[in-house]
Amino acid sequence: MSDHFEHADISAIIPIGGRSGDLTTLFREYRRALESLGGRCEFILVLDGPRPRAEEQIETLLQQGEKLTVIELTRSFGESTALTAGFQRASAPVIVTLPSYDQVDATEITKLVRALDKSDMAVAHRWPRAGGAWESARRRVFHRTIGRVTGQTFRDLGCGVRAFKRRVLEEIALYGDQHRFLPVLAARQGFRVVEVDLRQSSRDRFEGTYKPRDYMRRALDIFSIFFLVRFTKRPLRFFGMVGATTFGLGVAVLALLVVERLFLDQPLASRPALLLASLLVVLGLQVFALGLLGELIIFTHARELKDYQVDRIYEFPQKQAASVEPQLVATTDARDA
Amino acid sequence: MHEALVSALDPLGIDFEMVFVNDGSRDRTLEIAVGIAQSDPRVRVVNFRRNYGQTPAMAAGIEAARGDIIVTMDGDLQNDPRDIPLFLEKMDEGYDIVVGWRHNRQDKMVSRKIPSRIANRLIAKATGVNIRDNGCSLKAYRAQLIKRIPLYSEMHRFIPAVANIAGPRIAEIKVRHHARKFGQSKYGLSRVYKVLLDLMVIKTVASFTSRPLLWFSMLALPLAGIATVALVWSLLDFLTNGGQLSLPVAGSGVIFMTSAFIFICAGALGELAYKLGDLREAEFSALTQRLGLRSRPRSTPAAEPEKNMGNPR
Repeated sequence: MSDHFEHADISAIIPIGGRSGDLTTLFREYRRALESLGGRCEFILVLDGPRPRAEEQIETLLQQGEKLTVIELTRSFGESTALTAGFQRASAPVIVTLPSYDQVDATEITKLVRALDKSDMAVAHRWPRAGGAWESARRRVFHRTIGRVTGQTFRDLGCGVRAFKRRVLEEIALYGDQHRFLPVLAARQGFRVVEVDLRQSSRDRFEGTYKPRDYMRRALDIFSIFFLVRFTKRPLRFFGMVGATTFGLGVAVLALLVVERLFLDQPLASRPALLLASLLVVLGLQVFALGLLGELIIFTHARELKDYQVDRIYEFPQKQAASVEPQLVATTDARDA
Repeated sequence: MHEALVSALDPLGIDFEMVFVNDGSRDRTLEIAVGIAQSDPRVRVVNFRRNYGQTPAMAAGIEAARGDIIVTMDGDLQNDPRDIPLFLEKMDEGYDIVVGWRHNRQDKMVSRKIPSRIANRLIAKATGVNIRDNGCSLKAYRAQLIKRIPLYSEMHRFIPAVANIAGPRIAEIKVRHHARKFGQSKYGLSRVYKVLLDLMVIKTVASFTSRPLLWFSMLALPLAGIATVALVWSLLDFLTNGGQLSLPVAGSGVIFMTSAFIFICAGALGELAYKLGDLREAEFSALTQRLGLRSRPRSTPAAEPEKNMGNPR
C-alpha cells in the first residue's frame, strides 16, 4: 500500500532508543492497524545511535520487501532529537508516533487516529494498566504534580503512542527531554488535546525496578517543565522572588547583629553569624542579578521570540496579502471558519 | 463596536482599516467579528487559539496592522471611538505617541482608581515618562516605532515607558470613558507584585541594556567597598592584636569581594547577550529622529484602529 511516500495520509514515526522489543512483529502489527484506516501510510524508523539488534531486525524487514524510511543517527541524541529527525522527513498531514516496544495493543491505535476528527492531538492513556499499587501511586503523584504545575492534567505522559496534526509540530520545537511533555506543550499553544483510553499491550512489561536515579530524573523533569511554562518569559519573577527572600533574610540577621553591637555591647567581630548574614546578602544579590541578566537576554531577543501563536487571520475579500505577512497568511487552515 | 468606529472615522475622509484580535474567547466573538470582516473589507480579524493575555493580543494586532498610525483600544467600548480624531490631530502635530487619560474614570474607587493612581505615580517616577494614565488602552502610535518595540509578557501597561528607549515625543490628551458594559474585569490588587517587578525590569533593562558591563560594575562597586573595609580592618586587627585574626570579618570581606567579582562577570555576560541580541540604540533613535525642525506636515495619514477583543476571564 505505502508505495508512494509523497501521497501518504499518515506518517508513523518510530524512534528506536535503548529499549526495543521485537521490531518485526511490532512493525507488522502497527502497519496492519494503520492501514485498516484506509489511507496510505509511510513508516519512518529513527535509530537513535547504533543499535545492532534493531538494525538486524530492520534488515530482515527490508529484505521482506517492507517499505520504510530508516534514519540513522550517529550517536544517541535522545528521543526528542530522534522524533524531530523523523518529523522532518514526514510528509503526511497526520503524524503518529509509536514506541519501539509494546505499549498498547496495536489494533487500538485506530481509535487514536479517529479521535483527531475532533481534536488536534490525541494521546494514549494505557488503561486498564498493569503494575502494582506502588507503581500506580508513583505514577499518580508524578502526573498530579505536572498537572498542578502546568495546569494541564494528563494521566500517561510516559506513553509514546500519540497522533497529531502536522501544524502542531510546526509550532513547537522539541529539545532535551521535552518529548514526554509534548501534549502539555501543545495544549499550552492552544491546541485541543484529548486523551484516549487504549488497552495496554500484554507484552508491556518493565523488568527491574526504578532506581533512585530515575526518581531524580523525574523530579528534574518536573522542575524543568515548571520553569519552562512559568518563567522562561519572565526570569525575574522567579529569580527575583528567591533573591529578595535571601537578601531580606541576610539583612535581617545583619541588622540584629548591629543592634546587639550598638546597644547590648556584644562584640561584632567575633560572631560567626556575621559570616552567615553576609553570605545571605551576597547570595540574594547574585540571584537577583542572574534574573536581571535573564531579562536582558529576553529583552534583547524579544522580537524573535514571539510568545503567542496566531491561529489565523481572517480577511475578506481574500486577496493575496502574501507580500505583507507571508508567514501569517500561510498558516490558514479550515478551522472554525 | 464596529459601527461606532466606522461612524467616528468615516467623516474624516481618511483611509483606515480595523484589526480585531480575538484572544481565544470561546463565545461568539469570533463569529461576529468574521461576519463583520465579510461585509467590510477594511476589517481584518486575528484569531488566537487560546487566551494569551492583553500584551500578546496587542503585539499580534500591531504586527498585522498596515497603517502608518496605529490606534489601540479595548474591545469593550470603555473608550470612545469618537476620541480618535483628537489623537490623529495630535499625531499630526508631530508627536510619536499619544496616550489617553481617562480623567473621569467610571470605575470603582477603592479597587481600581486608587491602586491605579499609585501605580501611575510609581511608573512615572521610575521610568521618567510622565503619564497620568498608563492603563488607558486608547493610544496612538507611529507604526514604524511601535512595530520595532519589543512587547511581551505583561508589558502593555508600560508601552510608553518601553518605547521611551527610542525617545519618542509623547503627548497626553483627555478622553471620554464609559462604564463597563460588556465582559468582566479581572484586575484586582493581586497584580501589584507583578507590576512592581515588571517596573523594575523595565527601569533597569530599558535604561541599561546597551551597557550592562558598566551597570553591573556599578553594582559591584559598593560590594567591593565593603569588602575592602572589612579586609583592611581585619588586617589591622591582625597586626595590632598579635596574630589573632577575626575569622567572621575576614570571611565576610572575602565573600563580598567574590560577589563583586561575580557581578563584573555577569556584566560581561550581559554584554555578550546584548551583542547577540538585535536591539540597537542607533536603530531606535533613527525611528524618531527628524531632519530639520517641524518640517514634516503629514498629508494623508492612514489611521488604523486596532482592538483587542479578549475575553477577560
